[in-house]
Amino acid sequence: MRPVAVLGTGQTDHASSRPDVSQPELVREAVTAALEDADVSPREIDAVVISNMELFEGRAFPELWVAEGAFAARKPCYKVATGGTSGTSACIAGFHLAGSGSFDTVVVVGFEKHSEGHTQTGMSLTDPFWDRAVASGALGNFALSISEYMAERGATPEQAARVAVKARRNAARNPHAHLKMPDLTVDDVLVSRMLAEPLHLLDMCPQSDGAAAIVVTSDEAAGRRGRGAAWVHAAVTRHDQPYLGDLDRRMVTMEAMRDAARAAYADAGIQSPRRDLDVAEIYEPASYAELAWYEALGFCEDGEAGRLVEQGVTEMEGELPVNPSGGVLSTNPVGATGVIRVAEAAAQLLGRAGDRQVPGSRTALATGYGVYAWSDVIVLGVARP
Amino acid sequence: MGAEHASTEAGPRGDVAVLGAHTTPFASAFPGSIAELVLGAVEQALAAAGVDWTDIDAVVTASVDLFDGLTASNIAVTEVVGAVHKPETRIAADGLAAAIHAIHQIRAEAYETVLVVAHGKASMSDHWGLTAWTVDPVFLQPLGVDALVCAGLQAALVARGDQAALRRWADVTAARIRSAGGTLTPEAVLESPEVATPIRASMVAPLGDGACAVVLGAERAARGGRRVVVTATSHDIDLHHPGVRDLSTWEGLRRACDRAYAAAGIGESTSAFNVVEPSCMFPHEEELFLAAARIDAVTSPTGGLFAGTAPVISGLTRLVEAARAIGGHPGHRALAHGTWGPAGQAHAVAVLESR
Repeated sequence: MRPVAVLGTGQTDHASSRPDVSQPELVREAVTAALEDADVSPREIDAVVISNMELFEGRAFPELWVAEGAFAARKPCYKVATGGTSGTSACIAGFHLAGSGSFDTVVVVGFEKHSEGHTQTGMSLTDPFWDRAVASGALGNFALSISEYMAERGATPEQAARVAVKARRNAARNPHAHLKMPDLTVDDVLVSRMLAEPLHLLDMCPQSDGAAAIVVTSDEAAGRRGRGAAWVHAAVTRHDQPYLGDLDRRMVTMEAMRDAARAAYADAGIQSPRRDLDVAEIYEPASYAELAWYEALGFCEDGEAGRLVEQGVTEMEGELPVNPSGGVLSTNPVGATGVIRVAEAAAQLLGRAGDRQVPGSRTALATGYGVYAWSDVIVLGVARP
Repeated sequence: MGAEHASTEAGPRGDVAVLGAHTTPFASAFPGSIAELVLGAVEQALAAAGVDWTDIDAVVTASVDLFDGLTASNIAVTEVVGAVHKPETRIAADGLAAAIHAIHQIRAEAYETVLVVAHGKASMSDHWGLTAWTVDPVFLQPLGVDALVCAGLQAALVARGDQAALRRWADVTAARIRSAGGTLTPEAVLESPEVATPIRASMVAPLGDGACAVVLGAERAARGGRRVVVTATSHDIDLHHPGVRDLSTWEGLRRACDRAYAAAGIGESTSAFNVVEPSCMFPHEEELFLAAARIDAVTSPTGGLFAGTAPVISGLTRLVEAARAIGGHPGHRALAHGTWGPAGQAHAVAVLESR
């Protein structure tokens, strides 16, 4: 892919409900912040990509209503939706538009307003014959596949709880995060309400209202700007089987994520992800998922993820900080969640991550994940590729 | 950048060829699943392109969850579009927008060969009723506004002060139905019941089930000497509220055409099109289309959408028909059009050329 760069990022404050704004106003907040961060004016936007899971609000073509909020009116604009990976897929779509030679400046904005819909209903309309009755929504199928993962890899509830604690403590440094819990303990997680064995309430992500945006530019346009650039070194998507029963030991094998990571690391020249990456923003909808992703993304050998957490390798002060933002476990407006991963990774490289800045970050990872093991793996770097 | 650089939608990275395509025959109710419907289109498109699954680098799908009643409706087709362990993305808009996205992927040198697949299955739902969920839920939806209501408002504005409009639209509808191989008289059109004043039931293009698949590739990947290429594209989304748009015109289409014509280097000389394939569900939309695209007459050999269409696929099927019509006629040009949203809020266009 031709070189493109992220010049700026913006987010709303995320919360379980944002009754103070409509969906277009929510989108406007994030896009305005991203434009200010990139020092780009609305009239300079050439195209807009919108990300949203429309069934969560019970709508069709939501971009028709929110486009004006994204400064997209009278411009090229369409919506990307691929489930959990919607936000990262929309960012990759923005990379492709900016690299095509057609557009200099592309805005990608993701949003979700879960408080105005019914998320479990929106997630339950899977295949009506085979999957709907047994595996709809996030909880049931995560509980099943995480049980397999624990049995095979030896991950423990305490190790998963450490991930949950790390996320909410990191979130306390992030003014935008939904769940800020600086004093959370492992015991708090373990005694929180059981949702579906082995998942406690605090092992799972919340549902948030929120929006996030990035400003992407072509190679040529990035050179004309002075506020810094986070260059796209790799952007890889892999989808997988559409029936859960066809995904062999999903959380254990994670074939799509492993395949995407291999390809992305090859594109970005990364030989040892733990050594070569400075920071990672990964899409972990559940505490156990982060452990499984460490293995699938090559941060450690299979079966070693729990130890990685126990050694503090992925804490803010560790060798490879993972989710300084607090991650999906702290903030989850689904259509925006993938955009947040990319925005947070870019902000780290731009040196504009505030109290959650990992000093000296030069290479960052952002990932997206959907229930059917769909995976996006994106590598950003400060150097032009 | 911005409006002053609208002409940057040129094709500096080379053109993209239509390597093969297939649209399933119109069915008012296809007696199979979405996956079965889509597989038929994909297999035949691959065969037409002379490629197999391993030649496809990436897939772009088009579908709308609410119309399908499915969460992430591309899950329903992941296998049959061959996207398992491949890059796939879904543009939740008209199928021509998905093709435009694939063209940009190729021009960005992300992929060389991309399969574009759109599907819609109106037989599973009250499609026009569902379009109420496409309008602003605060001010419009509570009034019972849907896409058919908006089309009626638009038609009424187009016909204002024009006593001959209704008869003209009846003639156009009958002519399109004849081109599609059917029989319908203008009188029968006028006698059919009003569905959204002044639109008559027979003035609505038949909506059913369909899938459309197109294999696109970098022009250098085109096999053989003769090929059809997409030389320029554009898309546009207008203001949402019908009350703040001038419904008597399709300004969004005019902007999209301005950008695409400039990129294709054809300026105002739109008579250069040998074939024009608009996505018009109603005869009054043909008049809006012609004015916005600055074209004298629709030259769709097949009757356009009046031969029957399905939600989401329409614009992509216009690309397929346009490519088919000019294929083998070097130098011929065609315009394909897609639209989504009430009263033509969003548009997509592609300029094709036979080489």
